[in-house]
Amino acid sequence: MKIIKIVAVLFLIFLFTISCGSGENKSPGADAESLLEIAVIPKGTTHEFWKSIHAGAQQAASETEVEILWKGPQKEDDRAQQITVVEDFISRGVDGIVLAPLDDRALMRPVRDALRERIPVVIIDSALQGEDFISFVATDNYQGGVLAGRRMGELLLGKGDIFMIRYQAGSASTTKREAGFLDTVKQEFPQINLLVQDQYAGSTTETAYQLAENLLNRFPAVEGIFCPNESSTFGTLRALQEARMAGKIVFIGFDSSPKLVQGLRDGHIQGLVLQDPVKMGYLGVRQMVSHLRGQPIEKKIDTGVYMVSKENMEDPQMRSLLIPELLK
Amino acid sequence: MKTRSKILIAKEKMKDKSRVQMLLNWLGPFLGLILVLIIFSSIPEVQDRFLRISNLKSVATQSVIVALGALGMTFVIISGGIDLSAASNIALASVITAFAINAGFSPVLALFFGVLTGGMVGMVNGALITSLRLVPFIVTLGMLGIARGVAKWIAGNQKIDAPLTWVNELMAKSPRPSWLLMAPGVWIMILFAVAMAVILRYSVFGRHVFAIGSNEATARLCGIRISRTKILVYTIAGLFCGLSGVMEFSRLTVGDPTVAVGLELDIIAAVVIGGGSLSGGAGSILGSMIGVFIMAFLRNGCTMMGWPNYIQEIIIGAIIVAAVALDQIRHRQAL
Repeated sequence: MKIIKIVAVLFLIFLFTISCGSGENKSPGADAESLLEIAVIPKGTTHEFWKSIHAGAQQAASETEVEILWKGPQKEDDRAQQITVVEDFISRGVDGIVLAPLDDRALMRPVRDALRERIPVVIIDSALQGEDFISFVATDNYQGGVLAGRRMGELLLGKGDIFMIRYQAGSASTTKREAGFLDTVKQEFPQINLLVQDQYAGSTTETAYQLAENLLNRFPAVEGIFCPNESSTFGTLRALQEARMAGKIVFIGFDSSPKLVQGLRDGHIQGLVLQDPVKMGYLGVRQMVSHLRGQPIEKKIDTGVYMVSKENMEDPQMRSLLIPELLK
Repeated sequence: MKTRSKILIAKEKMKDKSRVQMLLNWLGPFLGLILVLIIFSSIPEVQDRFLRISNLKSVATQSVIVALGALGMTFVIISGGIDLSAASNIALASVITAFAINAGFSPVLALFFGVLTGGMVGMVNGALITSLRLVPFIVTLGMLGIARGVAKWIAGNQKIDAPLTWVNELMAKSPRPSWLLMAPGVWIMILFAVAMAVILRYSVFGRHVFAIGSNEATARLCGIRISRTKILVYTIAGLFCGLSGVMEFSRLTVGDPTVAVGLELDIIAAVVIGGGSLSGGAGSILGSMIGVFIMAFLRNGCTMMGWPNYIQEIIIGAIIVAAVALDQIRHRQAL
């Protein structure tokens, strides 16, 4: 019986914390009857990139006085779970959804469901097939790959053996970067030889680290590496540092995080292609709010790509892209 | 006289207690579900939305994949085994279905191939466990890797886009003939749950599964053909994973070899929350289904509240431990 009591007490505590949690949530929402509620759904929540998107979205939310609900799939990069999150926000009856789709096709049906429930959707970061959304705010990813390819070619003086590490199958944004890089290298620098161009780093730093380690063991004479996103860049950077090859070869990455900035400063990374995730999150929410308030919006917005290197990393503009002012 | 009346009173109390006990035992799994429903429907922010028909429909649709897996897993766990390969098997079946549709087979055949693939993986599991006399944990752990690998191989290390067919309507929240009310997948789940509950309760095979899980040696002495029964159990589990994989394909509209990583743990958790014992001999279909819905409603509620994922993970973890602890207490008292 004693144990039953203990369990009962535990349950009560559990109930209590839950009700407390809801109480906290209620206090800012008490006068929220008139506030617009916008769900912002990233592909994951742990990468730096998504934290920047979150920061931008929050900035827009506080400027326009709307409330945002930030939630990604429970497991990073799980298509099925992202569908579930979209469905649950439709059930909640939010006023609008800003979505970074994990798959250009699998998310079509939930987005159509949202439209059917008269909930507008803005797509950010990666493309979605179909026409069921009101606006698409993203980086021109192909152009980002082109920038990386040119930098690689210039630093290698037009010849050498390189790897291109891919991110993950089916990810539209990184596939475009890879295509931009490949096309540029093949057309503008025909003497550059791609040792590896179809290996996938996978969704985590850990898997990227392992892949890079294995590739470096197999091709120790490599002269250049390109990675198409933050986790693959960081994983490869770690592998290069472990192998004591960092700084000796040309390493071009994509996106930013404090560790990558340090790598740039130490000369271990020769260039990072930067997007403007803060702007992307900001404009995504801004577009949605404008639409909900009956203002006209653009169907497509390009948020720009930039190449940052050790030489220009202290420029104020590059600096703000490299080290976005995250949540204070 | 006095002692006699005391004994009578004591007996009376015992009777009362056992009645309460029975009620608790029967209600046990329901309590958790009711608690979750009460909690979310009393939070003002989502109150009016949580119990809406359209939300219940989404939760039901979201539950189908785990629920189908849990039907088979209930048999496996009652027999004293475990199937860690369930989620990989689901991914493999979804890839095979997409592959078959792309290769020009009719959707019916593709669906059939998907389910059959799951069944074959299950049968191999069962055959290896019985013939090599390995523990199910090891065999299915191996199969977890093999099935996932084969799925990626067949899919060429990427997702397979297949043209839309009626298979993709199976998991559509608003079904085509609107008199169906819920996605066809939900009806399939309910149908199979009832069928499997009857088989588990009333068929000779179902009783054999319980006997093997309670005490394999005794079961053998009683003349039960252990190997045959076990292979059948794992094959059934595999077939359900196959069906679940078809549903996953229907939901995603693409065959994705990386889908459902770690889902086997959700499936096992559902069975365990519903009173299944990992040492075998205990469990029920109704309990497992309730376990599935407890987790689905928790996820749904947490998302609707906009709570971060870590809160959700912590709560579900706590629920698993609490549910099993309660179950143990009930059993200890029953002895």
